[in-house]
Amino acid sequence: MAFEPREEQKQLKYQELRIFSDEELHNYTEEELKNFKIKHDIPFCEELEKGRWPSFVADAKREALHRKKLAQDRMMIERDVVEDLLGQLEVSFKHGETHWKHGGIVGVFGYGGGVIGRYSDLQEQFPSIAHFHTMRVNQPASKFYTSDYLRTICDLWEYRGSGMMNMHGSTGDIIFLGTFTEQLEPIFFELGHVLQQDLGGSGSNLRTPSCCIGKARCEWSCIDTQDMCYELTHYYQDELHRPAFPYKFKFKFDGCPNGCVASIARSDMSFIGTWRDEIRIDQEAVKAYMGGEIMPNGGAHSGRDWGQFDIHKEVINLCPTQCMWMEGDKLMIDNKECTRCMHCINVMPRALRPGKDTGVSILLGAKAPILEGAQMALLTIPFMKTDPPYDNIKEKVVEPIWDWWMEEGKNRERLGELIQRQGIPKLIEVLGIPAMPQMVKEPRSNPYIFWKEEDVPGGWKRDIKDYRSRHKR
Amino acid sequence: MDDLKKAILDFAENNKKSKFYFSDMEKAVKVEFPDAKARDVKKAATALVNEEKLIYFSTGSSTMYGLKGRGQTEDH
Repeated sequence: MAFEPREEQKQLKYQELRIFSDEELHNYTEEELKNFKIKHDIPFCEELEKGRWPSFVADAKREALHRKKLAQDRMMIERDVVEDLLGQLEVSFKHGETHWKHGGIVGVFGYGGGVIGRYSDLQEQFPSIAHFHTMRVNQPASKFYTSDYLRTICDLWEYRGSGMMNMHGSTGDIIFLGTFTEQLEPIFFELGHVLQQDLGGSGSNLRTPSCCIGKARCEWSCIDTQDMCYELTHYYQDELHRPAFPYKFKFKFDGCPNGCVASIARSDMSFIGTWRDEIRIDQEAVKAYMGGEIMPNGGAHSGRDWGQFDIHKEVINLCPTQCMWMEGDKLMIDNKECTRCMHCINVMPRALRPGKDTGVSILLGAKAPILEGAQMALLTIPFMKTDPPYDNIKEKVVEPIWDWWMEEGKNRERLGELIQRQGIPKLIEVLGIPAMPQMVKEPRSNPYIFWKEEDVPGGWKRDIKDYRSRHKR
Repeated sequence: MDDLKKAILDFAENNKKSKFYFSDMEKAVKVEFPDAKARDVKKAATALVNEEKLIYFSTGSSTMYGLKGRGQTEDH
């Protein structure tokens, strides 16, 4: 299906939007960088440069030198913001505690999220980072960018912010790191009106939805993750920007159970593409894998000699439900036992493919440790057919869950914690779905089953006075 | 809508704390208007934010509401 944007998309041209010249962007030499010392002594920070991996300290020094050589009137906040940031970090390492004041009343007009207030508590020592607000920029689905777009936002952030950013934060957004309050509205205007770019979610909002690369490039994607992500992001704009939830809420979309955005562990509502018919088998390709004509794993482990491909050792015996076997030279699969782990498909992608009757599994309640410990999502809806604009998901899943959580959830309680507190029976009652064995984490560990009168054919009558006549309190 | 806005402002002015969670504001409004839905309370609160009578206070992970001018200001 062709992509249809909600509003006409302008083609951004960096040459028309750029702020800095090529000379300004390439304004120092490697020799200058080698001899460059920032204005604070930072021995602890510099330790971080000695490891085997690239260090943010080395990157920050490059940015500090770059800003030092720009004219001050080419930046709207102090040029030594990066140097002060490293200086404060050094102090934090020495003291073993942070020197950021957390949170505040900053934002852009009408939005309750997207800007996170940060203030230094060492403002006299590090005045350039007295304000160091973070902005979240809502990434496009699957993070497809043009270089014109990236160059333009880099220029904008160099001009109005610290020049430092994360590509990307764990929610998925681009994170602009550090600016002063008076720069927030101009940046927001520029993003919204020139770049057609919205801010992402923060605080007690729907957080920026994020998805895997999906059908854009992946043959395994069972759902159009990009379309779903785009549709739900637009449909729930109010929830994204105006906070009224008990706490954060995250949607993530994986096209198949390989889970490239790890939605199962990182989102309150995880959508994973799946199929309900049979894995498609090309028996000729199976033979070609067994005969060594096709490299297993798409050639991914070809760096050393692992010997002849052994379908028993590398596929059949590793199936978690043992639902595969050979009959002569034919590979057989008992599909009703398959748990969609994707291992066999990953090893032999030309022989095995997901089925054609595709849909989505919905899992609820994953979270990092906050009130309770970390938990993975619960498979709540094993299979659901859905098509754009995904009304059945919005009306039968998302909104009933939000209504329940907004009514019953305590302040700062995630959905997973509410499910834990009120129990799975309550969750499935809210959704109006039947219980299934996979929801029972530890069979028989809890002997109490609470039946309701309407659950039992014929119901029952219970006279408490009659009971008490025979059983004293 | 105006009734809900007034109830929210009453709650915000008389609350011991200068910042409060949405759910506490909603509960207070429902004492006076038991049939009010969360969505209506949210719409009224949003309107008050747009009128610059209420403000959002965000730590980054969670968000509270407050009465503009009361408690912490934007300069801190």
